Amino acid sequence: MLASIIASGLAVGAVYALIGVTYNTMFSASRVMSFTAGQLGMLGGVFGSLFVLRLGLPLVVGLMLMLVCCAIVGLITEFIAVRPVLKSLDQHLYVLSTLALALMIQQVVAVEWSTEPQAFPRVFGIGGGGILDEKFWLPVLTCAVTICALELLYRRTLTGLAFLAIAEDNFAARALGLPERNLRMASYALAGMIGGLAGFSGGQLLLAFVANGPLLNFYGFVPVALGGLGNNRGAIVGGFALGLFQQAANFLVGGIFSSVAVFMLFIVVLLAAPRGLFGGHLARRV
Amino acid sequence: MPISAAEPLLDIRGLEAGYGKIAVLHGVDMTIGAGEVVTLLGPNGAGKTTLLRAISGLVPWNAGGVTFAGLNLAGIGPRETARRGLAHVIEGHRIFTNQTVTDNLLLAAYDVPRAERDARVDEALSYFPEIAAKRYDRGSTLSGGQQQMLAVAQGLVRQPKLLMLDEPSAGLSPVLVDRVLAVVTKLQKTGTAVLLVEQLIEKALAVADRVYALAQGKIVLQASTDEVDLPRRLEHAYFGSEAA
Amino acid sequence: MPISSESAAGTMQEKSLAGIGSWMFAGPLILIFCLASLVPFVTNDYWVLIATRAAIYWVLVGALNLVIGFAGQLAIGYVALLTLGAYTTSVLVAGNVSPPVPVFAALAIAGVAGAIFGVIVGLPALRLRTFYFAISTLGFATIITQIALAWQSVTGGGIGLPGPEMPAPFHTHAGFYFFCLAAAGLITWMTANIAHSRFGRGLIAVRDADVAAEATGIRKARLLMTIFVFTGASAAIAGGLFAALQTYITPDAFTFDLSVLFFISILIGGRGSILGPLLGTVILTLLPEFAAPLAAWSTFLYAVLLLAIVLVAPGGIAALLDFGNRRALLANRTIVPKAALVGHLLATDKAKSGIALRGVVLSFLGVRAIDGVDLDVEAGKIHGLIGPNGSGKTTILNVISGFYGPEAGSIALGGEALKPGDSESRASQGIARTFQTPRIVGEASVLQNVMIGGTIRGQSTFVESLFCLPRHRGDERTLRSEAMTALSAVGLESLADIRADRLQHSELRFMEIARACMARPTFILLDEPAAGLSADEILRLGQFVKAISRQGTGVLLVEHHADLIFDTCDYVTVLNLGRVLAQGTPAEIRVHKEVISAYLGG
Repeated sequence: MLASIIASGLAVGAVYALIGVTYNTMFSASRVMSFTAGQLGMLGGVFGSLFVLRLGLPLVVGLMLMLVCCAIVGLITEFIAVRPVLKSLDQHLYVLSTLALALMIQQVVAVEWSTEPQAFPRVFGIGGGGILDEKFWLPVLTCAVTICALELLYRRTLTGLAFLAIAEDNFAARALGLPERNLRMASYALAGMIGGLAGFSGGQLLLAFVANGPLLNFYGFVPVALGGLGNNRGAIVGGFALGLFQQAANFLVGGIFSSVAVFMLFIVVLLAAPRGLFGGHLARRV
Repeated sequence: MPISAAEPLLDIRGLEAGYGKIAVLHGVDMTIGAGEVVTLLGPNGAGKTTLLRAISGLVPWNAGGVTFAGLNLAGIGPRETARRGLAHVIEGHRIFTNQTVTDNLLLAAYDVPRAERDARVDEALSYFPEIAAKRYDRGSTLSGGQQQMLAVAQGLVRQPKLLMLDEPSAGLSPVLVDRVLAVVTKLQKTGTAVLLVEQLIEKALAVADRVYALAQGKIVLQASTDEVDLPRRLEHAYFGSEAA
Repeated sequence: MPISSESAAGTMQEKSLAGIGSWMFAGPLILIFCLASLVPFVTNDYWVLIATRAAIYWVLVGALNLVIGFAGQLAIGYVALLTLGAYTTSVLVAGNVSPPVPVFAALAIAGVAGAIFGVIVGLPALRLRTFYFAISTLGFATIITQIALAWQSVTGGGIGLPGPEMPAPFHTHAGFYFFCLAAAGLITWMTANIAHSRFGRGLIAVRDADVAAEATGIRKARLLMTIFVFTGASAAIAGGLFAALQTYITPDAFTFDLSVLFFISILIGGRGSILGPLLGTVILTLLPEFAAPLAAWSTFLYAVLLLAIVLVAPGGIAALLDFGNRRALLANRTIVPKAALVGHLLATDKAKSGIALRGVVLSFLGVRAIDGVDLDVEAGKIHGLIGPNGSGKTTILNVISGFYGPEAGSIALGGEALKPGDSESRASQGIARTFQTPRIVGEASVLQNVMIGGTIRGQSTFVESLFCLPRHRGDERTLRSEAMTALSAVGLESLADIRADRLQHSELRFMEIARACMARPTFILLDEPAAGLSADEILRLGQFVKAISRQGTGVLLVEHHADLIFDTCDYVTVLNLGRVLAQGTPAEIRVHKEVISAYLGG
């Protein structure tokens, strides 16, 4: 039992963690939280199922296509929902524009794909369905690989340095001559791919299901709230902690009340530490 | 590109600019020649920072024109102006504290061809041995003065024709201020023009060829720094019309 | 005498303007309800049901409008309260947990439950940023549905339970329809009353200019909680009516799509409006009926509409219908304050003594912004505060206004200590201020913006405003006329009904001063009021400030413009690097060696 909780907790926690990273990547580039983060996770699963199972493409091709499609969705988010509202003084508009876009994505999938969960293909075909089945360690492996790749990007490439610069001080980066708009677009494309990977790697657990969108929006946001806005390490820790907590609650009190438990945790943490447990962003008001 | 002595490097005519509804600059005229050091003085709120931002493209204009090295800067943003040889070191020594000194300089070299980047970084650091010694340290470990030197070094990475410095002395001890201003003199010898916005009037006048004073969005004084009654004229410009 | 005939004419003009204004406001609403009452007579039962649905939605959305449209709190998951109300009413009437309760009593109990739960859902809004709060309301919606599914013994779980049956004469379709229409009308009337009260203005101030709202004494937490109680109760009652309409409810009936409909109706309608969201609700409820093949895509269409509104017309339907603000304004307007009217504005019992700061210290990120400052601002005098950039001038104002509490030292007014960090109390203690960049409500009219300044002087309670009782009407009349006097005093009376964001920068500065005067302050703190003003306007500003001080109100003036300081101030304090460098009369300061060198450096 304990092993089962740990296996599923880490697996689903890895998916939540990666969605948290998606939120953070979009936030770092634009100072905006986007409702499309969870939808990208859903699309990762749906595209995977669509390309590999329904269209019969080889797995690697399906994966590549999924990444491209999700990157495009990320770019669309930037272009339609974020860029126009960055110019306006009104703080709340980005919530509305990204919400509208997220709803549109969700509805298109619901109508054109299906409202019922659809099967997701096996990736490697390893593990017989027990605790060591690939549906448990694949998300964790993907999460680890993604984190390492991001570290390499941010520390070793000039583009990565530029992403960090934009995140730290947008104005100074502009003044220095960095191509702020292109970098923001690239960040959103990257965020799209990370979200898609989260959904693809977790596809065997969560299936290709349109309801994953709002689900991941919420559960992917909790790590961000716990770890602090823009803090990827906090999101990873928060994601795994959330996954384990949720699976434990599932086992102890049953599926329905586990979501109540998670929500209570979320509210309590936020009210106690609005900037996250690891600290986040402080701006002077006056 | 050789520019004849008659044609100024930077030519500003009737520039009006501001932030949204707030008009700050009400028709500014200014010229800077190649290799000249010009200092821009004025009381707080006069618009000095706004003028620099308007030149480099960080703030849009409402009217007027700016020409730099023969290029019309209308509608051109900071990335393009930097590429053309106009480097703007903004106020407040805002470097990227989470990154190393070298990374900060590499970022300034973003548009420089890859092969030349390291050479440019070394060249910029050669002006500031104090921070060259700390090239692998993170920006947050630098003192305020060292951060300011790093910010100026960032401007130098581009090998600009015109370097604009916005209050580089702010928050610095007198010794460090002299260090930074000494770099300005060194730059002049290499033929780089400098536009220096400053609060420390005596030090700025000592290093500059010409001076402009800006008050309430307009140029109120324009002179060569070797003119005799400059201090009195500046006091006038700062405190407005004679009171008592 | 000139002043009284001016003010008499002014009052008549105000009355007629106010009269016309309220007819323009109420007219379309009355028309809609008249048309609505014709529905059972001109259409069949099917459309009566649709109209009933729209009316029930409006009972929820009309109240939610105060939370989303006025207070700006993005409560996306409000279907949670509809669910709560529906189940509470149905369970009580069906007698699952108690003896069967009559329908109206059940509705009332549901309202109470809704009020309590509304506060719970709303509480996070006080601490969380916009996006976080939005997500938390989504969580609540999910939780409620889960509980409805799981608590089978009471709610019937997935099978559901029958909704309440209405007693005669409301059990027929038409009868029930008129009941719901009456409820919808009541909500419209009540929320319209709130919109035109200091509570409604307080909400939009909190939404768009929360720092200014604190400075004018608006208590954000109390105000928001009051609104959450009202909206929660209303939404739950709507839920009960919804259950009666459906005749049988299951958890499936309360979808996220419904929440989206409520939310988007308000935003499509336009924030700060009653008519807009009403039209929005009607349109969104009717839309799927007229485009049957689009039914599956209805949420997609709502989302497209929302996106279009956000990008193209953020003001929504209300802004499109706002013909008054399409009139072109005169291009070269000048501001001509009438200093003589200041007497009407500020007649107070004169202040006893002044503001005193002793040894105040405040740091930001380890840097001392204020490093041990002693300052005395005398009652009835104009005290200038000048100094180079970074000397701490605005920070001192912020400490006096209570936005920051000092690490050390004290602030006192008239001998009594001012509580550090308590910005919401300053207005009632007699301190008003303006800001370095005008903090105003762009979408509201100039008059409403100025009336916000008088919030603390209102007498009526929320309930009195809700039901338009005499004290509320008296408050509004008084505030309105005082605000017009204030606007006349600063010379902006011709712009009273214009949206504030159409004004020029200098006009906004004077408007802020008019707003500050509304609180009948003993001290006014002015933060760089001359920035962005032309030379003429600065002269007039100086005269106006002098008129203010002649009435006995003290002025603390932070400025860069040397002319203004030397012409108007009685006393000047010079700050440098967070410390007092020099104090004295303007003439003394003008020739003070250290001051000159601080400004000129070297």
